[in-house]
Amino acid sequence: MVTAPEAYYEVVRRVLEDNIRTGALPGGTRLYVAALADRLGVSRSPVKRALELLEEDGLLRRNEAQGWLVGDEPASDVRPNLHLFELELPDSGSATPVKPGWERILQTVADEVVDCIPFGIWKISETELCSHFGVSRTVTREVLTRLHERGLVTKNRASHWIAGPLSAQMLGELHDMRRLLEPLALRRAAPHLGRMTLIEMRERVEAALAAPHQPAIEDFDRIEDDLHRTCVAPQPNQRLAAALPELRLSLVVNRQFSLHVARHHESALLLEHRLVLDHLIAGDAEGAATALRFHLDADHDRARARLKVLSVFGEPDAKVVPYLMRIV
Amino acid sequence: MTEPLRLRVISRGEFVPPQIRARLARDLDFDIEFIVLDSTRSLQQVMTEPESFDVYHQWHTSDLIWTARCIQGIDLRRIDTGNLLKAAARARSGVTHTVFDRLFVQDDGSLGPEPGDTIAVLPALHGVDGFVWRPSHAPALRPGERESWGWLLDPRWAGHVGLIADPVLGIIEAALATEAQLGQPFGDIGNLTIDEVDTIADYLIHKKKIGHFKDTWTSQAEAVRLMRRGSVTIQSLFSPAVSQLRAEGMQLAVADPAEGSRGWHSDLCISAAAEGERVDAAYAYLNWWQNGWAGACLSRQGYYFIFPELARPHLSAAEWDYWYDGQPASEPLCGPSGEVTIREGHRREGGSYRARMASARVWNTFMDEHTHVTRRWQEFLSA
Repeated sequence: MVTAPEAYYEVVRRVLEDNIRTGALPGGTRLYVAALADRLGVSRSPVKRALELLEEDGLLRRNEAQGWLVGDEPASDVRPNLHLFELELPDSGSATPVKPGWERILQTVADEVVDCIPFGIWKISETELCSHFGVSRTVTREVLTRLHERGLVTKNRASHWIAGPLSAQMLGELHDMRRLLEPLALRRAAPHLGRMTLIEMRERVEAALAAPHQPAIEDFDRIEDDLHRTCVAPQPNQRLAAALPELRLSLVVNRQFSLHVARHHESALLLEHRLVLDHLIAGDAEGAATALRFHLDADHDRARARLKVLSVFGEPDAKVVPYLMRIV
Repeated sequence: MTEPLRLRVISRGEFVPPQIRARLARDLDFDIEFIVLDSTRSLQQVMTEPESFDVYHQWHTSDLIWTARCIQGIDLRRIDTGNLLKAAARARSGVTHTVFDRLFVQDDGSLGPEPGDTIAVLPALHGVDGFVWRPSHAPALRPGERESWGWLLDPRWAGHVGLIADPVLGIIEAALATEAQLGQPFGDIGNLTIDEVDTIADYLIHKKKIGHFKDTWTSQAEAVRLMRRGSVTIQSLFSPAVSQLRAEGMQLAVADPAEGSRGWHSDLCISAAAEGERVDAAYAYLNWWQNGWAGACLSRQGYYFIFPELARPHLSAAEWDYWYDGQPASEPLCGPSGEVTIREGHRREGGSYRARMASARVWNTFMDEHTHVTRRWQEFLSA
């Protein structure tokens, strides 16, 4: 889940280096900071820094007038239109082919925060967050602002960023909304789901049910993703799509519970999943939505009981990231 | 030669005094290793390392340990009192229905009151705890004033109040006291909301800062020391400690508070990891506890056995009349160790078994918002 901390200019540098080495940016191409930033959909400062690094590596040379030239070849064009170049970009086709810094780390930070909040209250150090991910203050502020919008972090009276605790009350409030919204999303998504995909999902559930032991955490995550992400994804309402991820905090409780407590049953959960999938395979969207609501209610009861078990443990199972400091 | 079987039992000291251990050694044909543990750490161990024990005397943790499935279902057909237990659960006439509410393993694996052949924990002991106070050191009371949990936060007792430091029990007593003192009813004292916990914690912290509390205690020994020293004249106390102080001659009143008391029950569980002869030994141990002798022994320190009638043959008429029937002691009565703890003529506060258990307003439990409780409680302790 944890991505290696990589400074944003490093990402840009790597993208440019790859494209120079493959020849997508041929020798002699004239590169200007502004034009390149526009082509990559990023801001100028990481582009400038990346160009300087590539110059140090000898992949570029600085042009006497302005900008840089690729390789040693003479300049080919005065002001090339970089949008005409077929570049290999991480997310080509989108408005931001190279994801902005905050977007790259947002989900990782969200996951790491969420893994800790069943265990108490944590302070988030902006400085540590910067150095952990090698990003700027601007990026960490953007990340924290977005987590704030999601309701995951708040600012206390002393203006520190605070996360947690995940209370039973919070779990209950999220469940109240989730049990209304997720079945709605599933009902709307049902006509767009492929039968074969659904059958494969059911096979994964069957395999987990048949296994003598608790499914491995990866298999379990996959099963949860199948139903709660993949199956609801094709519904067309964007606001609904934006609202759903934040309502799924109980997944964290289940996950931490399985990391701490080895012996427990997930067969009830698996049977409930299978019931939803059966309805979807049969083409009964309404029945699937009802089965999903039943599952969410049952899972909420389990999550509440499990949260209480977690409350006896002081720490999340994995090592806590350095930018989170426990207050209580 | 295989290693001789040694049953590993996690318990609290009060449940297995030397008299019980000696009798067990005589009655059972295997060794027992008692692991006396009572802390959050021990609960973590129980939940994460079921292979480290065979039997656990649980105390207000049954829903947690069942959720964690660190214990295995107990087959009532292997328990001598199995049918008695089912009948008691069906009757629901007793004062102990809380014990039966989440006892039987239902078809979906959850716990419920519908009697079946599998239970999560085997009920053994229960009781109610309240606070004690020293009449000789009490402030002036109003004529006919009833004992109230509110006294723990009452300015008249300022500077002489002791509190239990454990958040699970402490928050319940603090809630009863806050409710009485502020006249502000809480929805469910056994499962407080975040706002209610905040109200209580803020009030306690304020009281602490104005010097209302003398001290807090983490063990019975500490609680006893606080009372002996004389600085604390009112605080909650478990019944074995009450017996101990009385045996030393201290005049103590055990409150029968207007708001009701704090109930508790302790039950026996078998580790999820136990198998083969360890399970057999565990059942033998559980059945031994059901025969009434141990129940009678611990009745002498104020506990109640789940089947009083089974304990009765092991108690003298005077003992039964005092502990279960609420009558004045017709002779001096001894505690489990044989030391006189009840003087002749004393009548147990709160009365008979039924009357006392019926006063249980709330039962010891981990609340849904336990993390929040712990956090605010810690804040109070360190304020």
